[in-house]
Amino acid sequence: MSMLNEWQDYLPDFLDGLVVTLQLTGVSLLLGLPLGLGLALAMTARRPAIRWPATLLVEVGRGAPALVVLYFVYYGLPQLSLTWSSFACAAIALAFTTSAYTADIFRAGISSIPVGHREACQALGLSHAKELRLVVLPQAIRVVIPPLVGFCILLYQGTSLAFAVSVPELLSRAYSQASITYQFTATLTLAGLVYGAISLAAVALMRARWPRRTPTITAGATRPPEPPTRTHPSWETTSERRER
Amino acid sequence: MKYDDHPVVRPLLALDGVCVAYRHHEVVHDVSLEVASGEVVALIGPSGAGKSSLLRAINFLEPPSKGRIVLDGAEVGGSRRSLDALRREVGMVFQNFNLFPHLTALQNVMLAPVHTLGIPPAQARERAMQQLTHVGLADHAHVKPGKCSGGQQQRIAIARALAMEPKVMLFDEPTSALDPELGAEVLATMRALAAEGMTMVVVTHEMHFAEDVADRVVFMADGRIVEENAAGKLMRDPQHPRTQRFLNAVRNR
Ligand SMILES: Nc1ncnc2c1ncn2[C@@H]1O[C@H](COP(=O)(O)OP(=O)(O)OP(=O)(O)O)[C@@H](O)[C@H]1O
Ligand SMILES: [Mg+2]
Repeated sequence: MSMLNEWQDYLPDFLDGLVVTLQLTGVSLLLGLPLGLGLALAMTARRPAIRWPATLLVEVGRGAPALVVLYFVYYGLPQLSLTWSSFACAAIALAFTTSAYTADIFRAGISSIPVGHREACQALGLSHAKELRLVVLPQAIRVVIPPLVGFCILLYQGTSLAFAVSVPELLSRAYSQASITYQFTATLTLAGLVYGAISLAAVALMRARWPRRTPTITAGATRPPEPPTRTHPSWETTSERRER
Repeated sequence: MKYDDHPVVRPLLALDGVCVAYRHHEVVHDVSLEVASGEVVALIGPSGAGKSSLLRAINFLEPPSKGRIVLDGAEVGGSRRSLDALRREVGMVFQNFNLFPHLTALQNVMLAPVHTLGIPPAQARERAMQQLTHVGLADHAHVKPGKCSGGQQQRIAIARALAMEPKVMLFDEPTSALDPELGAEVLATMRALAAEGMTMVVVTHEMHFAEDVADRVVFMADGRIVEENAAGKLMRDPQHPRTQRFLNAVRNR
């Protein structure tokens, strides 16, 4: 019971921290998602000169631990005389990680669109940009939303790394309260509950909006299986085909 | 040589020494073919003969590795402009329909007129409705393809290609993903289209369609044209042993 009383004292401060956490999540997504989409498009481009740098960037972004990226931005960039606030550093670092992870999600969504749809676009004379905007992306977005929501939840929790560069987000608040009161169990439990409550709410929201149905865009009726005798290499993606 | 019958007609579509290669592996060798305006040409032959490859080379889905494609007197080159012109004038119907499942039938048909030709949406909608009516699916305008039968989907795909008002329609085994009954409704649509004077190149395994509807049948094997003739002649009296073997095999199946 005493814990509940302590929580009452902590809560206002924690809620301020939650606001910072949510802002950090929001800004990271706002910067990271468009970049992720851009990288995904670049990774599926036909020209190797575009594909390779994008792929490299994504591999680095996924390979490097987010904390390393964060330290790099926070401690490394000032050496190049680039100094930002700790919030900006955290947002930039997390946006980079976000772009790398979501690029891979977007890329998977884009390449789940049957090559035939793209060929139909080409046969109808649609430009490459219109093919993407009108046919590929509207279909890919349905495939991509559940994993994206999953990533957003991870990112929301991952913003706690910003504690390491003393952004006053939820975990920092918990830690500084604890360092005053030495009530580590109480403070960290409360912080965990606040993180968990928001995450679970997001999961519940997603389940309600996109019920379990795994969103496959190729409705069976739209694309009957090729007759077994055919040896068309339909496994080839358009980009592979274009490489030749 | 082929045009001895009517030598003054300039072919609407001419292939001249067309080769198609995948990763330097050539699968269509030096094919020349002329198609007159209003003519229906059936392309038949065993699996792997290169029929699809040749058809796809015509609208540069698979750019020919050698040779020329001439459409209505203009050679199709590598330039963006000539490719755009080609794609506006050549419609294509795929074995798998390739309709866009997130759009209704009407939206599928309107898409290219609006976004390729730049026709105002209201006008494009009217044009699309006409084409859907044409293939007997006006009542399915607001239905998504996933809710339509395979035959209906293929007819929507035909309407989608027709909405560009192409000069030539290419069909790659338009009925082979369909059971015979649904295939029949698609063939009826194509028959009507042929009767209206549409120029068509049809890759098909439907020998009746080739014999009854096509003006000319081209038999391909191993990436080459083995024999071509007026439909009735080729189907009833094939000259080349390879053609005879193929037709016998198909008929006795
Ligand atoms: N994208 C591709 N990459 C590599 N090889 C291919 C590709 N498409 C077709 N081929 C090969 O080219 C040859 C001709 O194939 P094509 O699909 O044109 O034949 P087809 O006459 O249409 O046969 P089918 O009746 O089975 O459709 C085959 O050997 C095939 O394996
Ligand atoms: Mg084929």
